[in-house]
Amino acid sequence: MSIKSNIDHFIKDKKSTLLCIGPMSKNCVDATVELANEYNIPIFLIASRRQIETEYIEEGYVNNWTTREFSKYVKSIDKNKNIILARDHGGPWQGNYDLEKNLDEKKTIDNALKSFFDDIDNNFDFIHIDTSYRIDGKKVSKENSFKLFKFFFEECNNYAKIKKKKIYYEIGTEEQSGGTQTFEEIEENLDNVTKFCEKKSLEKPIFTVIQSGTKVMEMRNIGSFEQPVRIKNEIPVEIQLLKALEICKKYDFYLKEHNTDYLTNQSLSWHPKIGIHAANVAPEFGVAETLSLINLMESKKQYKLINRFIEISYNLKKWKKWVIDEKKCTDFDKAIMAGHYIFSSNEFIDLKKEFMKNCKLNESHINNLLKKSIKSSIKRYLTNFKLI
Amino acid sequence: MKKKKYCAIILNRNLPKVTNRLYKNLKDNNSNLDVYVLESGSDKNKISRHCTWYANWKSALKNGLRYSRGMNFALSKLDAENKIDNYEAFILLSNDTEFNNYSITGKIQSILKKHDKIGILSPCSKNWGEYQLLKKNKTKYFWFIHNSAYIITKKFLNAVKNKSKKPYMDYFFDGSNFRGYGSEFDIILKAYSNDFSAAITSEIIAEENTSYLLNSSKIIKTDNYEENLNRYIKEGETWLKKKYGFSDKWSINMTVKLFYDKFFEYYPQLKNYKI
Repeated sequence: MSIKSNIDHFIKDKKSTLLCIGPMSKNCVDATVELANEYNIPIFLIASRRQIETEYIEEGYVNNWTTREFSKYVKSIDKNKNIILARDHGGPWQGNYDLEKNLDEKKTIDNALKSFFDDIDNNFDFIHIDTSYRIDGKKVSKENSFKLFKFFFEECNNYAKIKKKKIYYEIGTEEQSGGTQTFEEIEENLDNVTKFCEKKSLEKPIFTVIQSGTKVMEMRNIGSFEQPVRIKNEIPVEIQLLKALEICKKYDFYLKEHNTDYLTNQSLSWHPKIGIHAANVAPEFGVAETLSLINLMESKKQYKLINRFIEISYNLKKWKKWVIDEKKCTDFDKAIMAGHYIFSSNEFIDLKKEFMKNCKLNESHINNLLKKSIKSSIKRYLTNFKLI
Repeated sequence: MKKKKYCAIILNRNLPKVTNRLYKNLKDNNSNLDVYVLESGSDKNKISRHCTWYANWKSALKNGLRYSRGMNFALSKLDAENKIDNYEAFILLSNDTEFNNYSITGKIQSILKKHDKIGILSPCSKNWGEYQLLKKNKTKYFWFIHNSAYIITKKFLNAVKNKSKKPYMDYFFDGSNFRGYGSEFDIILKAYSNDFSAAITSEIIAEENTSYLLNSSKIIKTDNYEENLNRYIKEGETWLKKKYGFSDKWSINMTVKLFYDKFFEYYPQLKNYKI
């Protein structure tokens, strides 16, 4: 069965919501692959360019993997070919290197293309083209965003054709607004893409990202999905989501929700019933692993190591993008929400070795415990999404 | 066009100045509007000078009536006085409602003339996302309208009203849902299942001035904002469960949407007003 047929089967026949997991760490990748194979279900691994990047630019922060290494590793352990490898938010200024070097538009477009081509070379199945971001903070106009999309989409299609690879696409200029887009905007976007694909005789993208009232900050979902009161200038999610699904159906796209983390079981269980076709979850699993590690160290009375972990994570300041109000958030919480960013650093590797030595634990024992907690978090989604 | 008569009901609790201002603005700008004020358990010294009815029994004085029970009480009083049929529609307002332009009855009349299936009409706020949907077509039909200012047509009211021993509990709204979380679903469901529609119009702009609730909760004798919000949700969810067996808002939202879609199958000529 092709990937597309399998996706159709789970969405249309089984009425499930597909789960797309951010590869937050090697343990997270292992847990995902093991569950996908245990239950024989498709699960997406959606790698951002910060997590996994082409070796022609730099390695990602997840296990220091390049695209090639990551793909090779996943394929080697995914015995039943249940994992769908996907690029999440590929596009200009989406990579760490481009941001740090403050690259100009031409260079970042070159890099985005390099990154996409390497995804294709390394057997990724899906590519999400996101042309919504600019490093200077200026809003990308609809016209410019669409122009860039057409460029990347055509280039990737041509490259895949030359390389004889089958690539599926996800579109959508998603931003973590937690809010909503007007229906005209959504329709116009899908209509433009459809017409462009028809004109160029290209297969249409499968997924479109549409804001559905989700937004992750700190360790909770603060979007309108679970808000009982109005949010200024936003269409209530009760209207927005059902209408967005109607539009997707009209243009024959599947709706993919981003930032689904931390929704309650009740909200998650509504996803398949409402008809949300797929949903991305990422930081929640990183936090699950970090908390599990802290609990393990605590149970072994390794307080000094806990403090060191907190210090390393806090000092990296990756928590800044997740915090609502720095003053109201404790340093401990800041360190927890950003703990997964340090898992591949030398400081953390040394800390882990010291922990193993102090407590006479071997690495696989620790990793199994951490994977168990990640799996437990993932299973919450598998169950509520009617995948298992 | 002959002017029809309209009725506005203002719900007051301990904010007489705010209520008097709203009363005056409405009266000064609408010659064909009768305005009634319901005192929802206000303190004796905080009653509006335009008070029509005073809910002053023990529990009303202690907790107020809130929007649903208050409007039920006022509407049932009008019914008891045989006044329902005097009016084309009933404008049900909490006293913190502020209109951009208080001349509203002419607009209501022309909207209802054009849309004879409307049972519930809601003014729009410029701060609502829905405002963006009401640019070309200023009135459209919705399956969800969250507001505290509804305009109910006489035809709809007569189709669904209840006459019981405790009309403040069930005359129009379900008063067993005290704070009202989810009650909009309930009345919109009643509308579509009785062949009426529920619309929002940007021809009438109204805002809820939440500063009174945020800053004057002690004077209003209500819970502070956070506590009120928690109770509002908890009570509403309990009510949804008890009344419909639904565990959350999505169940009833999907149900109302089902009736909404059905409505347009029977009235395809109204599809222009579908969002």
